Amino acid sequence: MFRVLWRRKTGLVGFIVLASICLAAILAPFVAPCDPYRLNPSIRLQPPNRAHLFGTDMFGRDILSRVLYGARLSLITGFSVAFLSGTLGVGVGIVSAYFKRTGMILMRVNDALMAFPEIILALALLAIAGRASLANVIIALGIAYAPRMARTAYGLALRIREFAYIEAAQAIGSGSFRIIFYHLLPNLISPVIVQTTFTCALAILGSASLDFLGVGVSPEVPSWGAMVNEGRIYITIAPWVIVFPGFFVSLLVLALNLLGDALRDALDPRLRRLV
Amino acid sequence: MAAYITRRLVAIVPTLFLVLTITFFLIRLIPGDPAAVMLGPDASPEDIERLRHLMGLDQPLMVQFGRYLLRVFRGDLGMSIAFHMPVTRLILQRVETSFLLALCSAFVVFCLGVPPGILAAVKRNTWIDQFLLMFALLGASLPSFWLGLMLMLAFAVKVPLFPTSGFSSVFKTGNLANFRYLVLPSLTLGFVNSALVARLTRSSMLEVLQEDYVRVARSKGVRESRVILKHALRNAAIPIVTVFSFTFAGLMSSAVVTESVFALPGVGRLVVESVLRRDYPTIQGLMILIAFLYLIINLITDITYAFIDPRIRYD
Repeated sequence: MFRVLWRRKTGLVGFIVLASICLAAILAPFVAPCDPYRLNPSIRLQPPNRAHLFGTDMFGRDILSRVLYGARLSLITGFSVAFLSGTLGVGVGIVSAYFKRTGMILMRVNDALMAFPEIILALALLAIAGRASLANVIIALGIAYAPRMARTAYGLALRIREFAYIEAAQAIGSGSFRIIFYHLLPNLISPVIVQTTFTCALAILGSASLDFLGVGVSPEVPSWGAMVNEGRIYITIAPWVIVFPGFFVSLLVLALNLLGDALRDALDPRLRRLV
Repeated sequence: MAAYITRRLVAIVPTLFLVLTITFFLIRLIPGDPAAVMLGPDASPEDIERLRHLMGLDQPLMVQFGRYLLRVFRGDLGMSIAFHMPVTRLILQRVETSFLLALCSAFVVFCLGVPPGILAAVKRNTWIDQFLLMFALLGASLPSFWLGLMLMLAFAVKVPLFPTSGFSSVFKTGNLANFRYLVLPSLTLGFVNSALVARLTRSSMLEVLQEDYVRVARSKGVRESRVILKHALRNAAIPIVTVFSFTFAGLMSSAVVTESVFALPGVGRLVVESVLRRDYPTIQGLMILIAFLYLIINLITDITYAFIDPRIRYD
């Protein structure tokens, strides 16, 4: 993988940026200059300065510290949603391709689910869940992004299913479980990894949007989307409150997209023209 | 052509039925009694019972489902709990803003997606190609709420060229100057959605530009602009139309956020308002409408294919 990244410089840049943000998120308790929850009205809406490199928000909280802690939430949400939607989508896709009758029903339901834009499906699921929490956001986005993954996995699995080695495995008496896990799944893994990278980027954008709309995690939790939402009314007098969190959402998503592009070119050149 | 359109129309019926089934059962997934959840903790048992009756929740499930299907086919999407009016009327009040926003944004998507995509393909592996690819990738990476606020900061606050928020009807007032309310939201939506169109236009054009008929056209001495716009673009059009239609459908999704940023009274903002107020009948109605629009856009795309490539309609 590193050889691939080394050849694709943009992919390498994406990897370095992603790794730096991950490191900053992990080390947030040690590198954050202030407590991200500490209110200090006496220093509210201070522009960037030596003591507060990104300035302070309307409650006097240090924006840099909140951005660092916000990275944790974005990364956890992005990776969890990518994992959940990947598992659900690949499961449905493979089962649908392998068991044709079940597949016909499952893929029709999948097509119907794809008629709902992801963010709207996630909003509806959150409304049904009732309580805004990180787990609910992850589940809602995971379900919302799964149909797209299922469609990709289904298309690939249908093609692989017709290959001679699958027929050979069936001929020597391998069971469905063995064929799916030992023969179908390993051959799907490369395009799925690529798609997962893009899903992770979309999930970070989606969760930031939900937080911005006020239906994501609770507002006091440092999250990039909620920070922009809270700061938007101060846009004329303190634009730094919204500039930094929004910039880091963009940077993280850009890094994932660059990495995804490089991985796609390396792992599955056939997909290159699709995205 | 009529037979082709009929076939496509029939094909969306099962999907539409499944969409309606999903939206029906979605409300039934609410933990506990949906009527009690909608009315909140202070509601009296009588109020809850009245709402249960009004929503038909006291009937057997299959009766509820049958009535629900009949209602939807009559165009009745139920009664909004939060806004105290029929959901259909509520949506109709908001349609103009969202419709005009989608049209203006689609225009921006086209301008930022198709010509740069063609240019990137023609100037393959040059700095222009690299720059346009990076520009497209940037578009796909920016959160629409942040880009909207940045545009607002630049072109409404620092340089007051456009209004920061709100919208005044164009159809009711006949005042075309009201389109100025849609400039910043359309640029926001258009830019974030143009990335995929630009990239796919580039890759489709690259594929077609290597075909023999393009080489033949060039060797006959046909002007390069004609080779690109007439010979290549028409043959590269199907994937471009596909992604453009998906993007148009995607505009409805991004509009949820953008309409909230610019306080536009559209359908997208209604989705957020009804989610925040837990107005389930409105959420259900909006989901049906949005999914229906998505299916219609798909249908129009299929019909467009047949116009672009006549072979498709005889398949």
